[in-house]
Amino acid sequence: MPENAPVLKVENIKKRFGKTEILKGISFELNKGDIKAIIGPSGGGKSTLLHCINFLTRFDEGHIWLNGIEVSYTDKRELYAYRQKVGMIFQDFNLFDHLSALQNVQIGLVRVKKMPKAEAKERAMMELERVGLKEHYAKYPAELSGGQKQRVSIARALAMDPEVILLDEPTSALDPELIGEVQSVIQDLASGGMTMMLVTHEIGFAGSLAKEIMFMDEGVVLEKGAPKKILSEATCDRTREFCAKIIHLHHKSA
Amino acid sequence: MTSEILFLRNEVTPAMIRGVWMSIRLIVPSAIFGLIIGIVVGTLRVYGHSFLKAAANIYVTFFRGFPLLVQLYLWYFGLARFGIFFTPYTAAVIGFSLCSGAYHSEYVRGALLSIKSGQMLGAQSLGFSKTQALFSIILPQAVRRALPGCGNELIYLIKYSSLAYMVTCIELTGEAKILASLYFKYMEMFFIAGVIYLVLVSVATWLLSTVENRLIIPGFEPPRA
Repeated sequence: MPENAPVLKVENIKKRFGKTEILKGISFELNKGDIKAIIGPSGGGKSTLLHCINFLTRFDEGHIWLNGIEVSYTDKRELYAYRQKVGMIFQDFNLFDHLSALQNVQIGLVRVKKMPKAEAKERAMMELERVGLKEHYAKYPAELSGGQKQRVSIARALAMDPEVILLDEPTSALDPELIGEVQSVIQDLASGGMTMMLVTHEIGFAGSLAKEIMFMDEGVVLEKGAPKKILSEATCDRTREFCAKIIHLHHKSA
Repeated sequence: MTSEILFLRNEVTPAMIRGVWMSIRLIVPSAIFGLIIGIVVGTLRVYGHSFLKAAANIYVTFFRGFPLLVQLYLWYFGLARFGIFFTPYTAAVIGFSLCSGAYHSEYVRGALLSIKSGQMLGAQSLGFSKTQALFSIILPQAVRRALPGCGNELIYLIKYSSLAYMVTCIELTGEAKILASLYFKYMEMFFIAGVIYLVLVSVATWLLSTVENRLIIPGFEPPRA
C-alpha cells in the first residue's frame, strides 16, 4: 500500500444515460478521516456519483483508487473486496425485507466474509448496540421505524469494516422527528474518525460535520470549499441561490 | 344390497387404492421436478445471460403452447419412432414436470420482477456477487411471493395427472374408467374418483397454506379474519 495515498481518489468520472450527460468529469480525494459533503439540486448527479463510486452504476470514463490501488470492473474478485471496504448507505435503506435486523447485519459477514455464524452473530450484535438498536435485534424491517431502519443499515455497513462510507441522502426518506437519531449516529462515526462522503439536503448538518462541501449541479462540481464559505459567502451565483433557498425554507419550517 | 357392498369391497376399493397410489406416485415427483425447473427457468428468464434467457423463453413457449395431452403423446408415442421408449409412467412424469415447470417459471418470473432493485443494490454494496445475492437475498423473497401462484399450479397438476391414463399409465381416473366400462357404472365410478381428487386437492391446499404461514415475514402478516 503506497504511503500517504488518499483512502479514496476519484478522477474524472463521466457518465451518460443515452444522450444526457449526468456526470461531466468529477474528481476528488478523501484522506483518512476526511468528511466531505455534496449538496446541490435534485437531478444534479449526486446520487449517480455515489453509485458510480461503488460501481453499482457503470461509469463511462474515469478512474478510482482505494489506498492508491486502482479498482476496475474487470476483476470481479477485486471489485467485491473493494465494495466491502466502501460502505454504502442508501436513501431508502435497502434492508433485506425477509431478514431480521440481526440477520441483516449478519448475512454479509457469513456469506461474503465467510465468518462462522456464531462469531458473525456476536459481531452483528455489537454493531446493533453501536447504533442503539440492540434490543430490536429480532425485529424485521417492516416492524422498524424509518430511523431505526437507517440505523440498521449503518450497522450493516459498519460490520464489513469499511474504510470509507458513502451516504446517499441518509435522512431524506425520514419523518422530521426521526432525522435526529440517524444524524447522531453519523455524528458518532465522525467523532470516531470514519472517512465519509455525504450527499444531503440538510445543509446545516453538512456544515457542522464536513470539512469541505462540494456544490454540484448538472454533472459538475461548481464550487467547493469550507462549509462557512459555501453556505454563506459562495462566489458562484448558482450556489448562493441554492443555499439561500434552502436556508429560507428551513427558517420558514422552524 | 349385500352385492353392492361386496362390489365396493372387492372391486372398487382395491382399484381406487391402486389408482390413488399411482396418482400420488405421478404427482409428487412431477410437483418437485416441476417446481425446481420452474425456479431455475424463471430465474434464467430474469437474470440469465442472453443466450440462456432465449433458451428459457423458447422452452416456455413450447411447453405452455402445446396442449399437455399432445405433449404426453409425443413423449410416449412420438419419441418411440426415434427408438426412444419410455414406460408410460416415465413419459407421464416427464410430460407433467416439463409442462408444470413452464407454468411455475411464469410465477417465479413475476415474483422476481416484483422485488425492488434496491435489494440487489444493498447486497452488492456489501460485496455480494450477483449470484450470491440472487441465492441469499432475492430468491428467498421471490419464492415467498411466487408461492400462491405456484400452489395454484400444484393444484392443477393434481387434476391434470388424470391425463396419464391416455398414455396407458393407469392411475385414479384410469381405474375408474375401467370399472365404469366393465360394470356400466359411469356415474358412480367417476363420482367416487372426483371426490378422491377433491380430497387430494384439499390436503394439498392445507399443506400449501401451512407452508405459506410458516414463511410469513413479520410485519407483512395478512389481516386476521
